[in-house]
Amino acid sequence: MKQIALAFCVLLSLQVASAYSQNPEAMPLVRFTEDVEPIFVRSCTKCHGSLRQESNYRLDHRVLAIAGGASDAPSIVPFKSDDSPLIQYVSGQVDGMLMPPRGSRLTSAEINVLRLWIDQGAVGPDSSTFTANENQQWWSIRPLVRPPAPVVLDGENVIDAFIRDRLNAVGLSPSPPASREVLLRRVYFDLIGLPPNPDECESFMTDSGPLAYERLVDRLLASPRYGERWARYWMDAAHFAETHGHDQDRIRENAWPYRDYLIDAFNHDTPYGQFVCEQLAADAIPQGVTSKIAALGFLAAGPWDESTLRDIREDTLDRQIGRYIDRDDMLTNVMTNFTSLTVHCARCHDHKFDPISQSDYYSLQAVFAGVERANRSFDFDPSIEQRRQKLRNRIKQLDTLDSSFVEELLGPESQQALVDWELSNKAGRVDWLLFQPTTVTAINGSELTYQHDGSYLASGERPERDTYELSGVANLSAITGIRLELLTDKALPFQGPGRQDNGNLHLSEFEIDFGGDNHVQVSRALSDFDQDGWGVQRAVDGKTETAWGIYPQVGKSHEAIFEFANAIPIRSNTPISIRLKQLHGGGHLIGRFRVSVTSDQLPLSPSVLPTNIEAILATDIQSRSKEQRIELAVHFERERLSRELDALPKPSLVYAAAADFEPDGSLVPPTGPRPIHRLERGDIRSPKELAIPGALTCISALPARFQVDSMSPESARRAALAKWLVHKDNPLIWRSIVNRIWQHHFGRGIVDTANDFGKLGSQPTHPELLDWLATDFRDSGQSIKKLHRSILLSNTYRQSSRTTEVNLQGNAERRDDDSVRVDSDNRLLWRMNRTRLDAECIRDAMLSISGQLDSRMGGPSDRQFDLKPGRHVTPVVDYGLFDLDSSAARRRSVYRFLFRTLPDPFMEALDCPAGDQIVSVRANSVTVQQALALWNDSFVLRMSEIWADKLQLQKGDSSQHVTKAIVEAFCRNPQQPELDRFIRYAEKHGLANLCRLLLNTNEFIFVD
Amino acid sequence: MISRRSLLQNCGYGLGGIALFQLLGDEGTFGASNLSRGMGGLHHAAKANRVIQLFMNGGASQMDLLDYKPMLQDRHGQKFEPSTESRIEAATSVPGNILGSPFSFAKHGDCGRWVSSLMPNLAKHVDDIAVLLSMTSRTNVHGPASYLMNTGFQLPGFPCLGAWVSYGLGNINENLPAFIVLPDGRGLPYNQRGNFSSGFLPVTHQGTMIQANLAEPLHGLRAPSSARFITPESERDGLLLLAETNRASLAHHDFDPRMESRIRAYELAAKLQLSAPEVFDLSQESAATHTAYGLDNPTTEDFGRRCLLARRMIERGVRMVQVWSGANGPTGNWDNHSSIINELPPMTAATDKPTAALLSDLKARGLFDDTLLLWNTEFGRMPFSQGSEGRDHNGSAGIGWMAGAGVRPGVAVGETDEWSWKAVKEPVTNYDFHATVLQLLGIDHERLVYQHNGADRRLTDVHGHVIHSLLS
Repeated sequence: MKQIALAFCVLLSLQVASAYSQNPEAMPLVRFTEDVEPIFVRSCTKCHGSLRQESNYRLDHRVLAIAGGASDAPSIVPFKSDDSPLIQYVSGQVDGMLMPPRGSRLTSAEINVLRLWIDQGAVGPDSSTFTANENQQWWSIRPLVRPPAPVVLDGENVIDAFIRDRLNAVGLSPSPPASREVLLRRVYFDLIGLPPNPDECESFMTDSGPLAYERLVDRLLASPRYGERWARYWMDAAHFAETHGHDQDRIRENAWPYRDYLIDAFNHDTPYGQFVCEQLAADAIPQGVTSKIAALGFLAAGPWDESTLRDIREDTLDRQIGRYIDRDDMLTNVMTNFTSLTVHCARCHDHKFDPISQSDYYSLQAVFAGVERANRSFDFDPSIEQRRQKLRNRIKQLDTLDSSFVEELLGPESQQALVDWELSNKAGRVDWLLFQPTTVTAINGSELTYQHDGSYLASGERPERDTYELSGVANLSAITGIRLELLTDKALPFQGPGRQDNGNLHLSEFEIDFGGDNHVQVSRALSDFDQDGWGVQRAVDGKTETAWGIYPQVGKSHEAIFEFANAIPIRSNTPISIRLKQLHGGGHLIGRFRVSVTSDQLPLSPSVLPTNIEAILATDIQSRSKEQRIELAVHFERERLSRELDALPKPSLVYAAAADFEPDGSLVPPTGPRPIHRLERGDIRSPKELAIPGALTCISALPARFQVDSMSPESARRAALAKWLVHKDNPLIWRSIVNRIWQHHFGRGIVDTANDFGKLGSQPTHPELLDWLATDFRDSGQSIKKLHRSILLSNTYRQSSRTTEVNLQGNAERRDDDSVRVDSDNRLLWRMNRTRLDAECIRDAMLSISGQLDSRMGGPSDRQFDLKPGRHVTPVVDYGLFDLDSSAARRRSVYRFLFRTLPDPFMEALDCPAGDQIVSVRANSVTVQQALALWNDSFVLRMSEIWADKLQLQKGDSSQHVTKAIVEAFCRNPQQPELDRFIRYAEKHGLANLCRLLLNTNEFIFVD
Repeated sequence: MISRRSLLQNCGYGLGGIALFQLLGDEGTFGASNLSRGMGGLHHAAKANRVIQLFMNGGASQMDLLDYKPMLQDRHGQKFEPSTESRIEAATSVPGNILGSPFSFAKHGDCGRWVSSLMPNLAKHVDDIAVLLSMTSRTNVHGPASYLMNTGFQLPGFPCLGAWVSYGLGNINENLPAFIVLPDGRGLPYNQRGNFSSGFLPVTHQGTMIQANLAEPLHGLRAPSSARFITPESERDGLLLLAETNRASLAHHDFDPRMESRIRAYELAAKLQLSAPEVFDLSQESAATHTAYGLDNPTTEDFGRRCLLARRMIERGVRMVQVWSGANGPTGNWDNHSSIINELPPMTAATDKPTAALLSDLKARGLFDDTLLLWNTEFGRMPFSQGSEGRDHNGSAGIGWMAGAGVRPGVAVGETDEWSWKAVKEPVTNYDFHATVLQLLGIDHERLVYQHNGADRRLTDVHGHVIHSLLS
């Protein structure tokens, strides 16, 4: 059937064109820059422009465009489109000369634009050149100047005046206002994403005061439900979800604080400039806003390739490419959402259509060169944050240890504390004696080499599996426990302590014999760290298929203590043999280790001191060297500081852009911003000059490269970009945001392409209105709520959405004016647009109507699926097994857990995005899958049942129940014929079936 | 400026009679030509009209299957020292010594194709298939490589081959989805459903996933039994009343094509409910067919059943079916890091016989006249060992094959170096492969375009050349 549709389109546009030729007054003036040039830029000038002139023809210069070309005849005959070869070529009238030869062909509408332009004389902005200084003149980057407001008539606001001006110019007029019921339902869903309940309907319908509507708007804007609705738009834009995406689609346990930040920011109407700065650089703006660190979740909201960025080897090309790709996502997120330009198109070459150079692109990469995506800790309480920071800085100083710090550590105060500690701790300390074996062997050939500190380092060819055997004697009378230290070493992958490529190891069994075959059972095993599912108990459970592991805490030393039930008496010549069985395979072998034994009383204290510190403590205080005293003082100070740090309230975590975070395998905090090179053709193997942090050169009012000192923290780069973005003279950001807000109210922006203000995007339908809104927004508090208010209070917003009117006989008739014909697409807003409810509104409305909606806000997301460990990183998720009666089922949809590669099929069928792509406006599809989901999904069915139960608990007969159901679903009273039909159905099949039906109607799904 | 999209909106709006254009599979469909339902193609005459793709998840080991390299056996255990300047690196491990294939190879068919002992059944069909011996990937990591081989981009969020085909050509049978995915019974592949996403294309083009082993194999096909208030009568009367109600409000309120489309969507949903069970009813197939696809053997049963289902779906007018072998995870797929000799044979044992049966069946039923059969994996593996007997990922070499409508049988394209380390002759990218598949379907890969966030997006990004030597 679509063929018929297309035929219709062609027919329609031809009719339009011929109507124009018959009636020259009605012919709209085609403007070159707005109407014609975009067609040339998109379809022609790549081959017929300033860079290439295929067939010696170019369209960027008027004289050459008219006269040029391979043949002798002119290509454009002004005023005669039918005779112009250009038109014949693009419309395929000449065999073998269809232009463009590749890519999308010109649509018939585009061809008509070219025809009209030629028929009107093929004029350009300048008699000779089409594109004089075009870049600076492009509408979106032109400086933002407040246009004069048109005359505002009585009862209008400024928006209405702008809209009316354009409508009148083409002979149209606005539609009558929508009915109060329609307006009420419209404004509820629009502002808070929920339907009004019958009481709210009643009170609005009976409030006849002139300010009733205004009061309603203000009440909804003040409702916390407002932030829940509008934050979701921003989550779409930020492509937020709570798993990584890709093959290892791991859950981000701490992504949700960013969602809560957004809800809070919208509810508190955070001025937009501040909102932008917080999301880019909350950590770099003045003290006292640490509670806003969660805003940095914006930069990390998109997908992340865990395999490439954490798990494969650091030294691979794939890792390096992965980092560029990852930063690309961050900068695309920032520039698309804040400037509405397609900066990411300049990665491999200068932007083909917009004035964005590759150098600009890599300057933006450099802004994010110092961050990764990771869990970032922060405190809501600034005083605790300061305390924590101070302690952290002091721990850092212990690593660098300058002379004044050493002096302080060796000063009387510190030393006294140290002596006190030494005395008080002597009793509780386990006295470990280094076990010095006489023979050390590895049965599968690992080479074990003795190290000066009593440890052994494994090297040589790495077998799949191995068992290390140590035999010797100990000069003790009894043994109560054995300690196995796993030590880091530069020679090991990720510094070990394991030999596996990821630095891990698996100790399958730890066995010990005394005096030959006397096997002794370990009664308790303790360790400083266990890999998830690989606890140290597994090394003494007698099963070789289970083992102890330490991943992901590689690059750190670890230890285990194996304790016996009773002291085992030994003599000085009792042979002791220890076996470290490592049978998991894949080279999960211990890289460096040391064994000690003790005869201390049981139970052994699990807190143990490193051997070097024990050795110092064993030395008499007076005989300690200065180095030993410093070593001890540093150790003591480090312990003291970390105890103090541990005692602070646990910090909150947010998955965000972070320069400092807990290492996770080979994902470690960068030591500073990484050098970023411009990559020729985007190829990692062709690095060119170093990029300087910066932004876009095309905004001539602002410096395009940032003065960031090389000693500054990386956050200074992000702060500089934030400052550039929110500058008063950056015209992009203000135009971008007012257009987005407008789009969400009307279903379409003043600029159709909210994420592309470049030459491939659309042009504003009302450029003066856009600039008026942008300057007004910028200069009077940057309040989004204020902007909502002026839009919602306009007559334009309050118009009816109908294209038809009901005549006296009660039948629908097309409006008796030119609107449908002249502007059937409603670009000029002669009526309101009808919208389909989005996935969240549908789900929330069902919860609300059935009386199930739980208004609890914030906190970890509701997982509306059954979750089982998967075969690898990604868990197994089953939405079908979720308990719809659990408390996790009842909160608003904004609190649903968002799984990237395993989205909820019900929400997906309703066009809820998966968080992979930046979404400025939801798709609005009508599909079979959607019909099946709404008709059969267990959520809809359960809500239908609960709703029916709720109705039946109320007084009255089925007629009253059905009436109430219609009021709740549609916010209007029923009409007699439908009421009869519904009652009949409900009486025959039960009210739940009728409820299911109502939730599937067009009237429920659409908002007029 | 009038965009094509707004033009369509213009036309669609207010003209009740053409609302069907927005419908269902056709809503947001690119194809403008009636011919796509027949054999005309979108941009030129099509050779193929439907596709079955078998996808081996994890990176099938090319030198143990089709890319025979005697040098590896000769130098087994020696240090890997190729005479090039290229750095030897592996994604997840330290490169080990040369690992010769532990399997024997022999020449088969009139074309004399080398096939390893792991694929005795495919070996009988080498004269029917065109082999790609020089597949390459831009990455050595599963996630991005699987995305690349399915969507042409290394990142999530782009439409996959099946979605583009559905968008470009629409569906053949409106009672069934245009694009169906049959994942391995053990679980979803790497990237899970990301590999069958419609990305920024309308959601109707995404792969409809059918998991026969789940309580709900197809979401929403019917009401769950927990909804006890639903009876066959309430269902029948309810759908009628819903249509009546929606029509009444349409007539009363407005001429909005979306509203009419919703009415039609419920009608088609009801048809899908009726036609789906017949597709799954394998009892209609003969015992000989069951045996041929290996349904009588637990080793081949899962993959065999899905191959047979794929054939039934294609016969009933599904445009594309993707059948996966292997789930994500460390084992039970083609990602054989630990031991080629132990981990690869179970994968070929599960798939070789059903694959050959599908080839024979499609041929015998004449379906190869308009059906394309593809066999793919995301990348190849390394000629040197990981640990003692496994192989790490290798984006620089890999294999694939295709057969059926428009494909020149018995040929091979490309060569790797003597190690099967890097493709050296006629390297084939995912872009080239996809361009070729689209070419066969009558689509010019440079003209199947969708504008999204300011960029004209294609399955082949800005790359891709049709591999003409593969075409008959």
